Amino acid sequence: MSERYGIEIKNLRKEFGSKVAVNDISLNIKEGQLFSMLGVNGAGKTTTIKMLMGLSKPTAGDALIMGNSILTDLPKVKQISNFSPQETSVAPNLTVRENLDFFARIYGYDKKKADELAEDMIEKFTLQEVEKSKAKTLSGGWQRRLSIAMALISSPKVLFLDEPTLGLDVLARRELWRVIEKLKGKMTIVLTTHYMEEAEHLSDEIAIMVGGEIKALGTLEEIKKLTGKDNLEDAFISIAEE
Amino acid sequence: MRSIEFSKRTTREILRDPLSYIFCLGFPIIMLIIMTVVDRSIPKEAQMNIFKIHALAPGMAVFGLTFVMLFTCIQLSKDRTTAFLTRLYASPMRSVDFIIGYTLPSVVLALIQVMITYICSFIIAAIVGGDLKLFNMLFSVVCLLPSVLLYIGFGLLFGALLNDKAAPGVCSIVITLSCMIGGIWMDVDGMGGGIKSLSHCLPFYHGVQAVRMAVSGDMRRVTKPLIITLLYATVIYILAVVLMRGKMKKDVR
Repeated sequence: MSERYGIEIKNLRKEFGSKVAVNDISLNIKEGQLFSMLGVNGAGKTTTIKMLMGLSKPTAGDALIMGNSILTDLPKVKQISNFSPQETSVAPNLTVRENLDFFARIYGYDKKKADELAEDMIEKFTLQEVEKSKAKTLSGGWQRRLSIAMALISSPKVLFLDEPTLGLDVLARRELWRVIEKLKGKMTIVLTTHYMEEAEHLSDEIAIMVGGEIKALGTLEEIKKLTGKDNLEDAFISIAEE
Repeated sequence: MRSIEFSKRTTREILRDPLSYIFCLGFPIIMLIIMTVVDRSIPKEAQMNIFKIHALAPGMAVFGLTFVMLFTCIQLSKDRTTAFLTRLYASPMRSVDFIIGYTLPSVVLALIQVMITYICSFIIAAIVGGDLKLFNMLFSVVCLLPSVLLYIGFGLLFGALLNDKAAPGVCSIVITLSCMIGGIWMDVDGMGGGIKSLSHCLPFYHGVQAVRMAVSGDMRRVTKPLIITLLYATVIYILAVVLMRGKMKKDVR
C-alpha cells in the first residue's frame, strides 16, 4: 500500500537577489507525522515553511500540501493549514475567547460553530482562568498556548509551528511539549526549533538544514547512526560544522 | 464575512485603547469649549468669525478626523510590526478583507465623532447664542464624507509605509497642516500671499470650506470645494490601497 503524504516538497528554491536561501530541497512528510526542521539562524527553515504556507513565492519548484499545490491551489492550502509564528502573534486588546472566536470566523465558521470551537479550545488548552483576560496581559507561556490554540481552531490538516517555545521558561516549555504531543497523529506537524532536546522529544522525523540545503534527513536514531554520535546535539554540530 | 470579522476586531482594538477616547472624542470637545471661550474674549471690532460656533463646529469636525487618521495609521503600522498580520496573511483572508477591515471601523468612528461634536456644538450654540440649523448640519455630514475618506486614506498610507514609531510623527505634520493652512484655527483667506496660495493647493482648506459652507447654508458654493476634496480623497485613498497591497506582499517576502 502506498504511503500518504501530508507534504511533498519538490525541488523548492528561494532566492533573495543573489543569495540562495533555500537550495532545491525535496522531501516528503508522511501524513500525521511530527517533522522537525533544525538549523542555525539563516539556514532556511523559516523561509521553507513560509513558502509551504503561501507566505513567500518560491523562485522555483513546488510543494503539495495534502495534494494541493502551493502554486496553483493556494486558497485551498490556506484553508487546510494553519500556523503559529515564533513571535507573539495575538490581537493584544482582544480577550482570549475573542481571539479564538475571531480566528474561527475568518476560517469560515458561523458564529454558533465558532463559539463551540472556542469553548473546545479553551477546555483543551486549559485556558479557562484567562479566557476573559486581554491577550496583552498574559504571560509569554499563556500567549504561546493561546497562539497554538488559535492555529488549531480551524482544525488544520497541516500545522506549522515556528519555534513555538522560543523564550519560554523550562516549565512553560514542558507544558507546551505536552500540548504538542497530544496533537501527534491527528495532523501533520512541521516544527522548527533551535532546541535539540525539543526535537529529540517530539519528532518522528528530523531534517537538518545548513545553508539552505538539507544535509541530513531521518529519524533520530538514523541521524545519530549517520554521524556516529550518541545524541542529537552532537550529531547536529558535526553536520552543521562539516 | 471575513472583512466584517476583521472590522470588528479592528474596532475592538481601537475602542479598547483609552487614548482613542481622549484624542478622538475628548480633545475636539475640549477644543470646542476653549475656542468658544476665546471667541467671547475677542472684541467685536476685530470682526473675527473663525471661532464663532457656525465656523468652529465644522472646523472641529474636520479637526477630529485628523485623529481618526492618527489611529488608523497607528493600528495598521502596529499590526504590521507584529507577527499578527503575518499569520493572517497565511489565513484565507484576501487583501480586500484587510482594506475593508481597516477602513470600515475608521468610517464608523469618524461619524460617531462628528455626531458628538455636532451635539456639543448645538449645546454651546444654545448657551452662548449661535445660529445652527439642523438641516444644514445634517447636510454638512454628507459634505464631510470626502474628508473622512481623505484622512482615512492618509492613515492607511502612512500606516502602510511607516513603522509604529515613525507613523505618529508624520501624522502630526498632517494634523498641523490641517489646523493651520487648512483654516481650522487660522483665517487663511484673511492672510493672503503664499500661505493662501499654498492652502488652496492642498485639500485640507477645501475640506473645511465645504463643511463650513454647508453649515452656513451657502449651498451654491459647496460644490467646488467638495469636488476638489473628493478628487484628492479618491487619489490618496487609491494610492493608499495600492501601497498597502504592495507592502503586504513585501512584508512576507
